[in-house]
This record gives sequence, C-alpha cells and structure tokens, in this order.
Amino acid sequence: MEQTLMDKLTILADSAKYDVACTSSGASRTARAGTLGSCYAPGCCHAFTADGRCVSLLKVLMTNRCAFDCSYCVNRRSNDIPRATFTPRELTELTVEFYRRNYIEGLFLSSAVLGTPDYTTERMLAALRLLRGEYRFGGYIHAKAIPGTSPELLQQLGYLADRLSVNVELPSEQSLNLLAPDKGRHSIFRPMKQIAVSGAQSKQELAVYRHAPKFAPAGQSTQMIVGASPETDYHILKLTEGMYRKYSLKRVFYSAYIPVAEDSRLPALDTKPPLLREHRLYQADWLLRFYQFEADEILDRDNPNFNPYLDPKCNWAVQHYGLFPVDVNRAPFEMLLRVPGIGPKSARRIWHARKLSSLGLDELKRMGVVLKRAQYFITCNGFSGAHPGRGTAGRERITQALIDPNVFGGNCEQLSLFTPPAVDELITQGVAPRAALRMVREEAVQCLAKAL
Amino acid sequence: MSGEGTVNPQRTRRLHDADVVYLYDGSFEGFLCCVFESFAQHEIPFAVWTPQRETSTLYPVKDIPTDHARAQRVFASFGRKLGAETEYLVSRDFLSGREDKELLLIRFLHLAFALGPGTVKRTGHPDVAPLYEMKKSLDWEVDKFQGFVRFEEHDGMLGAVIHPKNYILPLLRPHFCGRFPEEDFLIYDAVHQAVLLQQEHKTRLLELAAPLELPPPSAREQQFQALWTQFYKTLEIQARHNEKGRMSHCPKRFWADMVEMKDEF
Repeated sequence: MEQTLMDKLTILADSAKYDVACTSSGASRTARAGTLGSCYAPGCCHAFTADGRCVSLLKVLMTNRCAFDCSYCVNRRSNDIPRATFTPRELTELTVEFYRRNYIEGLFLSSAVLGTPDYTTERMLAALRLLRGEYRFGGYIHAKAIPGTSPELLQQLGYLADRLSVNVELPSEQSLNLLAPDKGRHSIFRPMKQIAVSGAQSKQELAVYRHAPKFAPAGQSTQMIVGASPETDYHILKLTEGMYRKYSLKRVFYSAYIPVAEDSRLPALDTKPPLLREHRLYQADWLLRFYQFEADEILDRDNPNFNPYLDPKCNWAVQHYGLFPVDVNRAPFEMLLRVPGIGPKSARRIWHARKLSSLGLDELKRMGVVLKRAQYFITCNGFSGAHPGRGTAGRERITQALIDPNVFGGNCEQLSLFTPPAVDELITQGVAPRAALRMVREEAVQCLAKAL
Repeated sequence: MSGEGTVNPQRTRRLHDADVVYLYDGSFEGFLCCVFESFAQHEIPFAVWTPQRETSTLYPVKDIPTDHARAQRVFASFGRKLGAETEYLVSRDFLSGREDKELLLIRFLHLAFALGPGTVKRTGHPDVAPLYEMKKSLDWEVDKFQGFVRFEEHDGMLGAVIHPKNYILPLLRPHFCGRFPEEDFLIYDAVHQAVLLQQEHKTRLLELAAPLELPPPSAREQQFQALWTQFYKTLEIQARHNEKGRMSHCPKRFWADMVEMKDEF
C-alpha cells in the first residue's frame, strides 16, 4: 500500500525523536530579498512537547531503513517496525511549508544507514541542495554526519548545513564494540576532527574574504547515551571536557537511556531512564562552559559519581567550605561565580554595580541572587554572613538550604521526575512514596551535614 | 494640597511627591512630555494615566498635551546625558504592559539625571531594579512569541493572532521582517488591537478601531495543520512525561493561539 505523507512523517519523526539535540543556536543571518528564512543566534523554541522538551527544528530521518544493527537503537536492522523513506522533494516542501507558518526554525536531518553511508549522505545532500538552491531557504539546518561517510561528501554537507553533528553515542570504546559493532571509534572521531579543522579553516578564509563559503557556521555538537553502559560520571565528564577542547564542540548532549530492546548486554526493559543522572551531567556541563570549572574539580577518581542530593556547584562549595564566606564587594569574578545562588548574570551585575556603590543584602536580592543558598557563603555591606548556629544543628540548617529542591519536589500523587534511586528502592520494598521521600531526605541531610 | 498660605520658593524647587495625576494620550511622545512636566515642576505625580486607564479620583488631574518638539528635546537628552544604554532601556520598557510603568520610569529618570550615566548599572537600587524587571518580562515575551506565533495561509497571505501582555509588536517587527522578506503577512495583537502588516515589501504598524476576525482555514491549510499537530504529538517520549516542565516553558495562556495545543486547551 502507498504510504501517505502523514504516515511517513509519523514514522520518521517517531524514529528520530530519541536524538536529543534540538537547538537552533549559533548561526545568525537575516534573509536577503528573494530568499526565505533567517537564523537567530540564541536559538528559538517553537513548541514544547508534553515531556517538556523544546521543539525547534523539524527533526526527522531521511529514512529509517537501516543496514546497521546497534543494539541500543530503535531503528536497528533486526527490529520489526514500520519503515519509510522521504523523497528529497517531499521533505523539502514539508520544511518550507512548516517554516512559513512559523512552526519550526529549520530542519534537523538525520538518517538511518540506507545501503551504504555514502549513498545515505548523497540522498541527504540532494534534499539540502533543493532546499538551499531551488527554494532559497535561509533557515537553520542541522545535519547529522553518518559514521563512515567519505570526507568529500561530509565537506559538501558542511557547506549546506549550519550545524553538523556526529554522535559519540557510547562513552567508551569497549561499550561501542559491544553494543554498536558496525560503528568504530575511528568512524566517529575522524569526521569530528574533519569538521573541527574545516570549520576553523573556513573562519580564517572569512576573515580574509568576506564572501568565502561558510562551513557549518554554528559549529558541531554531539550526543552520548547515559545508562546503557557501565561508565562512571567522571569518565563521561572527562570525555566531554576533552571533546570541548580538542574538537571545539558547541554542545555535548546527554540522553538518559530508555530501554528499547530486550538484550542481555543492555539494562532490562523495566529500567527507569536515569533522568537525575542526566540532569546532573547537564549541570556539570554548564559549569564547564559558563562557570570556569574544570572536570577534575567537579568529580575525581575517588568520587566518580555525582551526589544525587546536591547540584555539582553546591557540592563543590560544600567541599571547599573553608574558602567561604567571600566578600561580594571585593571577591574576584571567578569566585563570585562559585557562590551557590549567584549565576553568570547576577555575577556580572554585581561586578558593575559594586564599582558605583557598596552592596548590601537588599541590593543583592533585587539583582536576582538566591539568598536562601548564598547567605552562608557571602558577606556584604551590613551583613557578616549567616550564622547557622553551632554544631550539628547548624550544619544541618545549611544542608537543608542547599539540598536540591528538584529531587524531593513533587506531590503525593506524582513523584518528581528526578527521584533519586534510593527512594525508588524503598518504594519497591513497599514503603509509601511520601514516607520514602522523607526518610531519604532526612538521611541525606544528616549525611551531608556530617561531611560539612 | 498643602495648607500653607505662602509659598516658599526653596521648597517648591525640591523634588517632591505631588498629589496630582497626569493624563496623557498613551504615546511615547506623550510620555516624554509627562517627563518634561515632572522635571519642570520638580514633582513626582501620584499616578500617570492614559484615557483607557482613567478612573475617578480625588486628586486633581493634569492634562499633559503631546508636543512633538518638547518630546524631541527630552528624548535627545537621554542619549546625550544618560548614555545609549539608558535610552535603550527606557524606550524598550515603555512597551511594557505594567500599569505603573510611566511612574517607575519617571522615578528612575529623576535618579538618573541626578547621578549620571552610570545609574543603569546600579541594578540593586530600588528605583532601578523595576526597570530590569520590566525588561525581563518584555524580553521573555518577545522570545516566546518569536516561536509561538502560528501563521495560517489565506490566499497566499499569512495571518496570525496573538494575545500578549506587553505591547510587543514593534519588537517582533525586525524578527519577522528579517525572516520573510518575500511573504505578505499580518500579526494581529488582539489585546492591544494592533496589527503588524507586511504587504508588497512594505511594513506598517497599525492600530485598529474594531476587532479583526481571520477567515476559517482552507482544506490545504487544514492539511498542514494536521501534519504539524501529528508531528508534535509524535515527538513526546512517554517515559519522560513532564507536564510541569511543559507548563513552565509554555504557559497555558499561549495555548489558545497555537494550533497544535488547541484540542488540549
């Protein structure tokens, strides 16, 4: 039976949705006369799905017929699911019509491996050429580099797309060999390097000649699956830091593994996706990119996993409690950034405002500093630091203020999305969810207070 | 309102809270004339109203006429004496939907002219912080509407309806004009009864006397709406369902104008 456009869209969007990257940031241009579409550097979200994720791009696969058999993937060859393939024309028209209605910011084109990687990339190129050429589309295009594609084709892809990405998928070579035997480490890092080199070259050419063609002006990103293989958080974070430095990636995305296959090499089908762990990785990733932290400061060999109850920044502050309190009116910028409750924006505001007048608590509050957490770590005009009290009670008061509200949030019907594993364990033993939350919370507070 | 018989010239020269209400026409120029009046009289009015916001009051109401030359004079002084950042912040915040925006701006301007161009950086000052609150709300809404505006095609013309809290059409203008240079489109702000209209490469911002009604979508249009709704629904990952997350990023007040949300609304 002939598939309708609706069927194809449903199948190919469903197959693509586990790819988490959906940002449209990093490129900036205005449409010239005769063209359609612009790019907005901070990115733009056009809708939010019921799981709270942003929809920015028309995220679909060119095809979900795959020659590979990666065990963590829904589209693997051995999986019995409906298959579909877009023609370049169908995909182009859909993109343009969605774009005109302001549904999307552009196209996110990925694909399963149809026949060979080169053939797949050729088809993607055909669609992008139609879009950029015939339709004069200037919106955002994120294209996925298919592992194993020849460098020449990848180069062409880079001149059509704004952003390229190669998915690392699994954080170590052993896991890759075990779970994705068709992809080698080499087939992932070679294109990543090529994109980094070509991007840097293109920037240099642009400096000399402003009409030089742009190679992936929004850079490249990658994605890792968390929880499908046994790597520690420290391992993942070190890998992330390495990739940011070596390949000048714009973003690393993490995706909590959602079981899609019964396989002895993978977590069981009823495993909950490790959303809390994913959340902590994103927080740490933010610390690397915007807070001048290094991976080794956040985690180390002796503490290779994140504290489930404290966000990584609070965790660092608690472990270096001796460095605090800092004087907001004097502390260097990088130290302001490390105070729990002060983010890059309020740090910048403090930096400017304190040159004009000495700051007190009221001023800080109006600037957006979260005093509930910050009060134990700062002094300012007229305030010599909050004194939680002596001994255990005092330490527990600090921990109460710092403990991550997301973890113990939620109400009696629905627990928070980020419920820590310890709570889940108690619930499976038959403890009522609210009681379990309370027990774990109390224990966490005591434990953290002791370490303070 | 003071009971003193003789006027002490020294006292009237000092900035004081006056029991008076300014009434102006709601335009930016009109507001600049209010600023002029406030500085000329050394007074901070009890309230500043537009005809739409006028209510009965015991305080005397002072009609502030809009004078183009006077407004120009005030505006020029912002850039010259207070710097580009202040000029930008004040012009932008005037689009805010806050009831007392004029008063907050006037208070800030008195402070700024007293302390000089650095005043905008005193983000912790009680007269400065509200300006950043207004800016934050405006920026947030502009950012959201850049994504949440939904066009429908009617005979080659794209049309959309929005219900923003702030008057953001002037701020949406560069974004949408820079995006669709070849399209004819209109965005109708149903709250402020204004339209951003681009036709034959010309863009205009119009205020409407009567509400606007878009015609029902054609069959072709309905097909694209169905495709989009289907795409949107398909994207959800059940194992990660998070209604609260969605609501915080896309509050319910936006849903009525978004085609994919209509049946959930």
